Amino acid sequence: MGKIFLDHIGGTRLFSCASCDVNLTNRSELISTRFTGATGRAFLFHKVVNLVYSEVQDRVMLTGRHMVRDVSCKNCGTKLGWVYEFATEENQRYKEGRVILERALVTESDGIEEIQVNNDD
Amino acid sequence: MDQIYSKQTIKRCVLKSRRKYFHQESVATQQDRSESFAATNKGRWSIERGWCVSGVVTSLGRGVEADAAGALVISALRRARRAGAAERASLASTDSGDEGAGHRPPRKRTRRLSPPARPADMHQPPAANGAPPPHHVNGDTATRNGDLQPPGLRMSQTDQEIVRLIGQHLLSVGLDRSAALLMEESGLHLEHPAAATFRTHVLAGDWVKADHDLRALHDLLQETPQVDPHNLAEMKFVVLEQKYLEHLEAGRVLDALHVLRNELTPLQYDTPRVHRLSALMMCADARELQARAHWPGSGPHSRANVLARVQSVLPPALMMAPGRLRALLSQATLQQASRCRFHAAPRPTPSPDNIPFTLLADHHCSADHFPIHSLQVLNEHCDEVWYCKWSPDGARLASGSKDNTVMIWDFDPVAKRLTFRKSLEGHTYGVSFLAWSPDGRYLIAAGPEDCPDLWIWNMETEQLHLKMTHSQEDSLTAVAWHAASDKFVCGGARGQFYHCSIDGTLLNSWDGVRVNALASRGDARAVLAADTHHRVRHYDFTDLTDRNLIQEEHAVMAMTLNAADTLLLLNVANQGVHLWDIRARALVRRFRGLSQGHFTIHACFGGAHQDFIASGSEDNKVYIWHINGEEPIAVVSGHTRCVNCVSWNPVHHDCSGTRCPPGKAWQRACRALQCALLAPPRAALCPPAHKPL
Repeated sequence: MGKIFLDHIGGTRLFSCASCDVNLTNRSELISTRFTGATGRAFLFHKVVNLVYSEVQDRVMLTGRHMVRDVSCKNCGTKLGWVYEFATEENQRYKEGRVILERALVTESDGIEEIQVNNDD
Repeated sequence: MDQIYSKQTIKRCVLKSRRKYFHQESVATQQDRSESFAATNKGRWSIERGWCVSGVVTSLGRGVEADAAGALVISALRRARRAGAAERASLASTDSGDEGAGHRPPRKRTRRLSPPARPADMHQPPAANGAPPPHHVNGDTATRNGDLQPPGLRMSQTDQEIVRLIGQHLLSVGLDRSAALLMEESGLHLEHPAAATFRTHVLAGDWVKADHDLRALHDLLQETPQVDPHNLAEMKFVVLEQKYLEHLEAGRVLDALHVLRNELTPLQYDTPRVHRLSALMMCADARELQARAHWPGSGPHSRANVLARVQSVLPPALMMAPGRLRALLSQATLQQASRCRFHAAPRPTPSPDNIPFTLLADHHCSADHFPIHSLQVLNEHCDEVWYCKWSPDGARLASGSKDNTVMIWDFDPVAKRLTFRKSLEGHTYGVSFLAWSPDGRYLIAAGPEDCPDLWIWNMETEQLHLKMTHSQEDSLTAVAWHAASDKFVCGGARGQFYHCSIDGTLLNSWDGVRVNALASRGDARAVLAADTHHRVRHYDFTDLTDRNLIQEEHAVMAMTLNAADTLLLLNVANQGVHLWDIRARALVRRFRGLSQGHFTIHACFGGAHQDFIASGSEDNKVYIWHINGEEPIAVVSGHTRCVNCVSWNPVHHDCSGTRCPPGKAWQRACRALQCALLAPPRAALCPPAHKPL
């Protein structure tokens, strides 16, 4: 097809796909580390890039029934976690639109010190 | 004796014809008229008018002669009466008769001017329809150039101007008699008699008389309220400057000195210029004079320049700009070409000498002349084709593929064919970006995100000039050459942003920028970089300054700067193609229709004036927009996979419109777009089908 366009979220502590090293998100997007996925520990992130999304699935989890999509790496296609589309429980609503990445499938590395600029300059 | 005789004859005719045509008017008015006529007869102006017209009448044929002669006498009479009325009005305020008051203001004191020399300036219509003239519709501005419409002919201001334009054009193509006839029949003046005599005298180099004419023109000017008192000085200065230079050129230094001292200096106009003129006294010969004064030498050319400069001061009713009709028409063709949505060929320059289209119909290029037809499919690549780029001279095409090769194709602009020339091999990560140096001598190939190398190919020897690797951790995906072709910048999303010389030496680097795309400004020092924060920022590697230029909402995948260094084209992920004005830092257009975001898609500018935008799309089509509209003007289908890159030939983009035979234009037009490259496993250059919208 073509050359896959890969975004980069930047930041100083980066999370990348463990199999192809494509940047996914960074530490500042991390909401919680107290989740559990198919492979064990999983992290909840505010924003993750370079993902492709599956069809919506209805899953009953420990915290109730959710509509979720599985997420995979845009570059290599490895399944990495899921994204919450809809939470039926009112107290789980904060997860909607947020992404779970399984700790075992991502690697953490140092980023670079980026130029911080005011957009109005 | 002859003259006296003719005066008497005319007077007799007048009296007769007045009996015939004006019998209903009061005796008092008749007395008025004969008095004023007698007064006018003193001047030769009306006599010569009469002579002119009778000459034409004779040429018209004997059948109408008597009637026409009557009419000419009437008009001579009318003119005389008006002039008389003017004189009376200046003496005492008497009643101004039955028809003249609004029509011919008293300022019309042109009797003392000698009659114009050219036939087009002949004045009086033989208007033979004989009816008593109704009130004329001429407005105040029209009468200023001495127009007098024949009885029964009512023309609006615009119609009068059109007739004058036609008359001027007829003269310019040498149809003098037709022009004269037109002016007679319409009763209009091409230009004011004073302006006509001025023109004659300037072209003949009769500077004393020209100066006198200028004063007459200025008298006329003073009656218009918006006149600038500097006008006379400026016009005189222009004329005297020419006189001075002509004296100098002919070696009449004393005469020139006289002009300088006694004529130019007392004007007190543009003293620095006078000083420069006086310095020209020292010129050894005519050639040096012409060079130092930037003056083409005496002759029709420089005198026409004088006329043009004087004319620019005068209101157009007095003196028309030369070639006015052609100028208007060339403006119209320019406007039509700029509105033509398929006009990829060079637009005509706004020159009256060059009107490239037929004037008989509005210009518009048909879609068949536009590059939307596929000419050729190149199948040599054995994997996805990620990028393609024409060389700056438009003679070669480079295509980069996932199959680790760059292929070079020769373009035959006559046959409109690409032929395989050479495959540049050795790349190990695929080739996702190519950049020709502005002089076409080098080609840089870059790979995808995980590729730390750049390959610099010498395109004269077609050998690898250099494989540049600074660190295995680098990612170099974007390259942009400096305008001087000796340095380039490169970068990638892992934070490399290097400034390198052609031998691969790292001259400088910018830390903390994750680069998605690069473009060099025309000033050979500044670079635009699209980064991962959806910004386009401006970096100067000379003084190491940077500033924000553009903030997008989504990721910028690819970036192209136009040749004029003013407009920036961004392929924005999951959005359209965005066009920004980088001087105003403003979004100009969001070109719609395409889909992109999963793959890196490259758009380009195209057409002779770069007013077309073309982009690939993930729906296997090529979208083409005109820069003035956000909806595509053409969608080219036929590719079987995602269209990753479009490159518009920078030289052979012509579609020359109606003058090109359709078959030829078809081919030629197509060639411009032949590099909408297709995805694997084949590279399709210009798809086999097309669908203009």
